[in-house]
Amino acid sequence: MPISPDIIESLRLELRRGTLILAVLAALRTEKYGYTLRSDLAEQGVEIDEGALYPMLRRLETQGLLTSEWREDAKRQKRFYRLSDDGAAALSQLTEEWRAMNRALEAILKEGMQ
Amino acid sequence: MTDLMERYLAAVKRRLPEEQAKDIIAELREAIGSKIEAKEKALGRAANAGEVAAILKEFGHPVVVASRYSGQDYLIGPNLYPWFWDAQRTGVGLVFAIVVAIAAVRAFASERPIQAVLQGIAGAIEAAIWMFGVITVIFIVLERTKTDVRIAQGWNPKTLPHGNIRAPKPLFDSVFALAFDAILILWWTKVVRLPNEFPWQGNRGLELHLSDAWAPFHTPILVLALVVAAVHVADIVYPAWSRLRSLVSIVGHFWGIAVAGMLYRARPLVDVIVSPGAEDRTRELNAIFEIGLGLAALGWAIGLGVEVWRLLRSLQVGVPGPQAAPKG
Repeated sequence: MPISPDIIESLRLELRRGTLILAVLAALRTEKYGYTLRSDLAEQGVEIDEGALYPMLRRLETQGLLTSEWREDAKRQKRFYRLSDDGAAALSQLTEEWRAMNRALEAILKEGMQ
Repeated sequence: MTDLMERYLAAVKRRLPEEQAKDIIAELREAIGSKIEAKEKALGRAANAGEVAAILKEFGHPVVVASRYSGQDYLIGPNLYPWFWDAQRTGVGLVFAIVVAIAAVRAFASERPIQAVLQGIAGAIEAAIWMFGVITVIFIVLERTKTDVRIAQGWNPKTLPHGNIRAPKPLFDSVFALAFDAILILWWTKVVRLPNEFPWQGNRGLELHLSDAWAPFHTPILVLALVVAAVHVADIVYPAWSRLRSLVSIVGHFWGIAVAGMLYRARPLVDVIVSPGAEDRTRELNAIFEIGLGLAALGWAIGLGVEVWRLLRSLQVGVPGPQAAPKG
């Protein structure tokens, strides 16, 4: 029986969910506002819905991982985000975690291919 | 096409926490504005209503977008859900069983039994819906207040039920027994009234009342019923046999036999009020009750013997109760 596309989509979303935060934190090592952050991530192959991105930025700011300020840019008021010191520490820990997980998964996936 | 965007933002704003709404909407306005601007740049002209609508649709439904700012994704989250489901099964099952049992007893003596059964089923469904609602509200409050429910964290596999003395009691059996206990207690304390009038010889009837022999045992029987109900509640929480449960059970059985014996000596057990013209059946009915009392005493005596045997066996095989589970 072929696997339903809904199941694949739901598994794909589950797989992506945790990695998006890591991508956002990493991308905000340099200051960006929401629209450019999303465009930059998309250019690098990480698509994220705006409806999810902005609440996520706010939540990360509430958690102290990001700082933000409103500033005028190209004649418009924009909210610029960047990684805070706590955010940088969290990013470092999460990166380690991601790399370890990635190494383990790669080994398991290779094993399955042999 | 800012009108469409402003209507969209207003729809989101209505659903946002008031203290954050202004800031969130300013950011969303900027984000959507940037997107429309980029689209217009790519088209080389102003975006039309359809194009703006497509951008807003891609952004997400106002309800969904606003909900993402609430920080509350679940009504009852995955941590609480297993406990919620377990509480529903027990609570709804219990209340349904109690109301159905009371309705069945009432229907038995009703002149319109089918109507009484239907009313009973409707009452049971209503009670079950109420119970479902109450349990749901309790769990929503627990989720909302982020109450730290440590049931799962404090769990110790060593406290899992033993099955070598007696198989753990199925949940259905315990709930059913508890429903029966509840009906008995409610009737004994006169909170509910069960029918005691029965048709006898055509239109004539008779009424059964417990005789004065029961009066001195009102409190002892109530205490016994409460203890039995407490044991059945304990069975739901910890369905395995344990020495403590066995001791309580032995005392209960012994208590039951003693009360039955004293009642037998103080008989007659029931007073019968007979309609004029109906034949007096006091003697026969008392004989039926005496046989019933004797059978109950026999059942308690067998139960007493079985529990004593289990207790002795547990001493031989060394089965710990939950209170004696090894630490660590």
